[in-house]
Amino acid sequence: METILPPTMQEATNVFISNLLASEAFVRYHQSQTLLDHDSQGQALLNQLSQTQTELRKNQTDNSLSKDEIDSLRALQVQAQENVVIQGYANAQQDAIKFLREINDEINQLLGIDFASFTKRSGCC
Amino acid sequence: MMEMKDQVNDEIEIASTSIVKQAAHHFATALAETPQFKAFEQTAYAFNNDQAAQQAMQAYQQKQQSLRPLMMLNALSNAQREDLLQLQSDFTNQPVVREYFTAQAELTTLCQALGDLLSGAIGLNYAAACAASCCG
Repeated sequence: METILPPTMQEATNVFISNLLASEAFVRYHQSQTLLDHDSQGQALLNQLSQTQTELRKNQTDNSLSKDEIDSLRALQVQAQENVVIQGYANAQQDAIKFLREINDEINQLLGIDFASFTKRSGCC
Repeated sequence: MMEMKDQVNDEIEIASTSIVKQAAHHFATALAETPQFKAFEQTAYAFNNDQAAQQAMQAYQQKQQSLRPLMMLNALSNAQREDLLQLQSDFTNQPVVREYFTAQAELTTLCQALGDLLSGAIGLNYAAACAASCCG
């Protein structure tokens, strides 16, 4: 069932979201995300990395993992780490998370609860 | 936006950290004013100050702790299991405890709705990004 927010809560939430999105950390995060979305080389590399990881996991379960497959994954990981657009996105995401935690701490202090824990849905991992 | 953008960077208005914190305070204050949060605070206070409920909780927790090694091995006897369940029931059936758990569940539902709104808008899972446990 959808929770209906009181108007003041809805308004405060909208203002909070608008300001979070306008913060330097989130502006940079979303800019880097747009850059990555439009970078065909970065996208291809991430897709390849994801496919290789899936195959490796499957082969690991089947006990048929070869050294070549592990080397191939490591090579792709190195390529991803050296890709400027992917790295820019990863760093910007970490900065956004760090900033969000700082802001969440402010909310926790005022409320006296761990607000983020209350927002968690079961099985969020 | 609450007159909150105070810098210009590459033609994008940036909200300073202090302005974002101000909006976060406004958000937290609005949450603190909800019936769900007030009920949670009141029931938590009642629970923390109810001697019978605190004793029932301690008895349950002590038993749980003493039996933990056996529980991990799934080696509890029927008598031990029944003993533990009885202590749990004695604890959770205390009126103040039931009221506290109900209020906690209602506040959780509200916070989950807020978390969903935040996560959807910012492109990050709020709980996973900020919560101390589970998702790091």
